[in-house]
Amino acid sequence: MSAPFERVNVEKRPAYESPASLARPVTPPTSMRRPAATAVGSVLVVLRVIAGIVWLVSLWAFWDELLREQLDITVDPGTDEQAATDAVLAIILVFGAIVLVVELGLAVLVWFGSNWARIAVMLFATISITSSWVESVAGNAEITLRTTLVTLALDILVLLALSSRNARAYARRPRQRVILHRK
Amino acid sequence: MSDGSVAEREPGPEAGAEPVPDAAAEAGAEPGVEPGPEANAGSEAESARARRFSVASMLDGFFFVFAGVAAVWLAWLVFTQSFEFGWFGIAFFLGFWLVLAYLVLPRLHRILTTIYVPDYFIGRARTSDGLLGDPVNLAFEGSEASLHAAMALAGWTRADDVTLATSWRIVTSTITRRSYDEAPVSPLFLFGRQQDFAYQQEVEGNPARRHHVRFWRTPDGWLLPGGRRVEWLAAGTFDRAVGFSIFTLQITHKIDADIDVERDHIVATVLTANPNAYVEVLRDFSTGYHSRNGGGDTIRTDGDLPVVVVSEVPIGAIEAGPADAAGDSVPVRGADAAASATGRGADG
Repeated sequence: MSAPFERVNVEKRPAYESPASLARPVTPPTSMRRPAATAVGSVLVVLRVIAGIVWLVSLWAFWDELLREQLDITVDPGTDEQAATDAVLAIILVFGAIVLVVELGLAVLVWFGSNWARIAVMLFATISITSSWVESVAGNAEITLRTTLVTLALDILVLLALSSRNARAYARRPRQRVILHRK
Repeated sequence: MSDGSVAEREPGPEAGAEPVPDAAAEAGAEPGVEPGPEANAGSEAESARARRFSVASMLDGFFFVFAGVAAVWLAWLVFTQSFEFGWFGIAFFLGFWLVLAYLVLPRLHRILTTIYVPDYFIGRARTSDGLLGDPVNLAFEGSEASLHAAMALAGWTRADDVTLATSWRIVTSTITRRSYDEAPVSPLFLFGRQQDFAYQQEVEGNPARRHHVRFWRTPDGWLLPGGRRVEWLAAGTFDRAVGFSIFTLQITHKIDADIDVERDHIVATVLTANPNAYVEVLRDFSTGYHSRNGGGDTIRTDGDLPVVVVSEVPIGAIEAGPADAAGDSVPVRGADAAASATGRGADG
């Protein structure tokens, strides 16, 4: 008795799909408009930069007060102490400004669909969220609106937006050349 | 710029010269007679597997799940804040609902349904969260142009694509009860793809109530369970009101439970307007006669699948059809893609 048609040997299918398919690359169409997730993600990164600017400006404005109240240092104008604390402030401001400029650059790259910038932003957000969580669990810092809830919320929203399937597809879409140079 | 390098190093099946779309191999092709992706030549399958789980992909998967967990924490933080600010806490409670309904639950559903919902054809479309959506209750045969011509002649309006502008317009028109007869429909997925296009008919100028039907082109060579070849599958349901989804708590359209009425309405309008079209019915095609859709609305059906053959519908008829359908529904696939890449891109 011969089989009427050829049977293809197919492996038994499991009753569930592999969790690894969460990590399966999405297959984006060749022409894809910027999805809302990518746009929102990069706008949120810009908002984080603005929050950082506000923080730096307030640090500069309340520097003397901060030294007096938090560290118990009173500086007389014109002394070496004054010069030293000014130098510390300058270093913090310059370093903060560099970080913010880099972040702003990443936001622009994410907007234009750069994949490595998207991964970098998500990596920073993950580190920031994890450290906030460790601090709150260790009991050092309570997360409320008056302390770090806004920046934490921004971090989580950035991560949600940029890890979404649409943002992933847009950043990994096939293209001939970098979109920055496209007319 | 080096950001393109990841994509360039990964000439996947989607970028290669293979004419078979990826979706056909992974989502659709499961009638049992077709070789699965594993049955390919060994080396090819192995390199495909290595490519599938590159470091960048694993990172993507990790961030996807981590963001979901972090969002749960965010929802909890916002919820606890709502008790701190007296009456102002109501705003926080609203924020809690927004975070829960639009960020947390969709992401959790997405993660869980990826694992527990089968990824092959089971006669149901899936929502963007991976939940089971509207049932596939119609099939069509014919070219895309004929299909557009037949629908336009039958008095159906093609739905706009979902953009920020059209989404905003559907919100305002729902609140003000103003007519928006090209309102976009939410994306549903079949073969891992969003619908190719959708048609609708507004009822009484009220955007909360409408007939609507989504269309998906089937992958090349794909057969229905039972062996019938059709070129298009469609899911038609009637939106009867606006309400809350019971799975995600989002605001969504509630559909009428009796989906056969809508199915028969679509078939009847197409047949009446197109004398060249005819229908063949596959009796008791459906595997489920009582179920729920992605928003939690009950659905019931007699299980029949009408196959509407529109191949003979003259394409020229589209010019003679209703004026509102002519502009947006150019029946050529390439032209449509070009329009969405250039012209329509500006208004989003």
